[in-house]
Amino acid sequence: MTLGQRLIANEWSAIAVAIVIGVVGLAATSPAFLTEFNLYVMMRSFCVVLVVAFAQMLTLAVGQLNLSIGALGGLVAIAIGGMMEVLGFPIAVALPIGLAIGALGGLINGLLTVRTGINGFIITLATASAFTGINLGITESIPFYNLPSAFVAFGTARLSAFPMLLIPPVIVALLLALFLARTVPGRQLLAVGGNPHAAQLSGVHMNGIVVLAHTLSGLLAAVGAILAVAQLGSAQPTIGQDWLIMSFAAPIIGGAALTGGHVSVAATALAVVLIVLIQNGMVLAQVDPYWVQFLLGALILAAVGLNRLRAVRAGEA
Amino acid sequence: MTTRLSGALCRAFSIAALLAGAATVAQASDNKIALIPGGPHPYFAPWEQAAADAQKDFGIAAVDFKVPSEWKLNLQTELVESLVTQGYTAFGIFPGDAVGINSTVEELEGAGIPAAALAGCAQDPTKMQFCLGTDVYNSAYLGTKALIEAMGGKGKIVHLAGLLVDPNTKLRMDAVEKAVGETNGAVSIVQHITDTDAQEAADQKINALLGAQKDQIDGLISTAYIPSVVAAKSLRNLGDKRIKLVGIDDDPIVLDAIKDGFAAGTMAQNPYGQGYVGAYVLDLLAGGGCTVKADAPWIQTPQTAHFIDSGTLLISAANIASYKDDLKKITSDIQSSFKDKYLDCK
Repeated sequence: MTLGQRLIANEWSAIAVAIVIGVVGLAATSPAFLTEFNLYVMMRSFCVVLVVAFAQMLTLAVGQLNLSIGALGGLVAIAIGGMMEVLGFPIAVALPIGLAIGALGGLINGLLTVRTGINGFIITLATASAFTGINLGITESIPFYNLPSAFVAFGTARLSAFPMLLIPPVIVALLLALFLARTVPGRQLLAVGGNPHAAQLSGVHMNGIVVLAHTLSGLLAAVGAILAVAQLGSAQPTIGQDWLIMSFAAPIIGGAALTGGHVSVAATALAVVLIVLIQNGMVLAQVDPYWVQFLLGALILAAVGLNRLRAVRAGEA
Repeated sequence: MTTRLSGALCRAFSIAALLAGAATVAQASDNKIALIPGGPHPYFAPWEQAAADAQKDFGIAAVDFKVPSEWKLNLQTELVESLVTQGYTAFGIFPGDAVGINSTVEELEGAGIPAAALAGCAQDPTKMQFCLGTDVYNSAYLGTKALIEAMGGKGKIVHLAGLLVDPNTKLRMDAVEKAVGETNGAVSIVQHITDTDAQEAADQKINALLGAQKDQIDGLISTAYIPSVVAAKSLRNLGDKRIKLVGIDDDPIVLDAIKDGFAAGTMAQNPYGQGYVGAYVLDLLAGGGCTVKADAPWIQTPQTAHFIDSGTLLISAANIASYKDDLKKITSDIQSSFKDKYLDCK
């Protein structure tokens, strides 16, 4: 197999090519694109989207959908904000509780899905409404502003162009790649999504794995929420409202199968980079505001198409 | 015994309070009034206090602040219908959908229940009795003028706007362009950045703008709540006091930015006044004693022929300590003159 063939066989190769084209194009047309601050802004924009994409990717891996990611993220965001501002909890206490709330929300999604036999699509649609309701009931749409300065400072801290906020998502990506590639539950997760019948015959505890996927998805939504609060400097009840589309777009551009069994951490991460690059390019190119949504959709569609073309060429289809 | 005594004392105090209330309140009413925003948003938070104050000050049976769970027309109309069945007799509504709300308002009118548009208008033809809100065109125009002044009358500006589907956004864009046009080319608009009404979208777009073009921009005019907050925070993070910012509304982050020199000002709106005066007038209309005058001095806007400006003013470092008193005075003036100016009462 030649180098070119090996490259095209990689599911992230088409996305990488699109990123390179985008970077070169933007650098050529906008001198400000490669400035330290703009690179920092873009890398900072990866953080939340990256973790949220991973959260959805895990449920896609078992052939399920999680529509409650944003709502659960919003609930965790205001929970940690409330704990730190109103209850005066230190960061070291509030954040683990926030993560636990996220995992608990995911656990509830998983248990309801396997115990009722109702598709996760419906279950998470319902729990999304419930999580949002709790969020609004607690906050009455008023954000929590007075967060510990160390926490807020972390959201804006940077080393040259590298935002400190990117450290947790990078750690999450590495752990997730390790989990899916090298651990028994990780492999079982993909097996359940790829061929549930075969997985069951192999003795995999199907329900347990589905619950695990939802729980981890909730946990990652909580990580995303914590990063969003640090990034924004306040715990806004609206956090998570825009997550849903991106949570699907990145894994799908990254080649995840909606039927389950196949996901890629690297390709999903590159898809996030591509999406943020497109969004950044829209601002740099001063696109007419009435056409921004159209162009964003068209470019994302083009990215999916490019990856599909690569898959066909590589003989995956 | 102690309980009985305290109970009797409580009753005595209650009767005394009621009598005292009756002496100060012009006309107690049995009306139940609901103030309904388009959905959850911090802008409407003062409506809750306005409702409580109006209920107390005007002796209305109930004035309640009811929030739809999401910014969706069907959720807002379902809430209105549910409140009608619970006996509410008048509604102050922020139309989340300026046209879509009209069929519900027509149904209310048919049932003899008056409704008024508060904070934002419904599109004519409408059965809304009137629209009490910020003159968004004027507010954006005055804000841009203030920004241009802070920039020394020249430079490049970016307009940060809210939802593109909101017809008011187009009005605000036109107002910004008008103010810029009056500089005869000394000030130019680099771009309008829209759909920044969600915190995360605003953070991404505004920081991308600053990352790429901060050296080319001299001023930011924000005509929506969320981008004002995000822009104030981003300029603070950047440590940039060269770029002038004029925002809208009085979020604590924006006010702190004004105090610390990261924002030149913000255009105050009067949400409390909208809720307070709205409840007062709806009580008069729901009682059946008053109707709106056809020939009142209404302001004509692109949306409605029955507009009343609830007041706007620029908050700057000079008046940051006193602007709330100024808004209270505006509210008091609108309330005290409303009956004579806009209503025919028996």
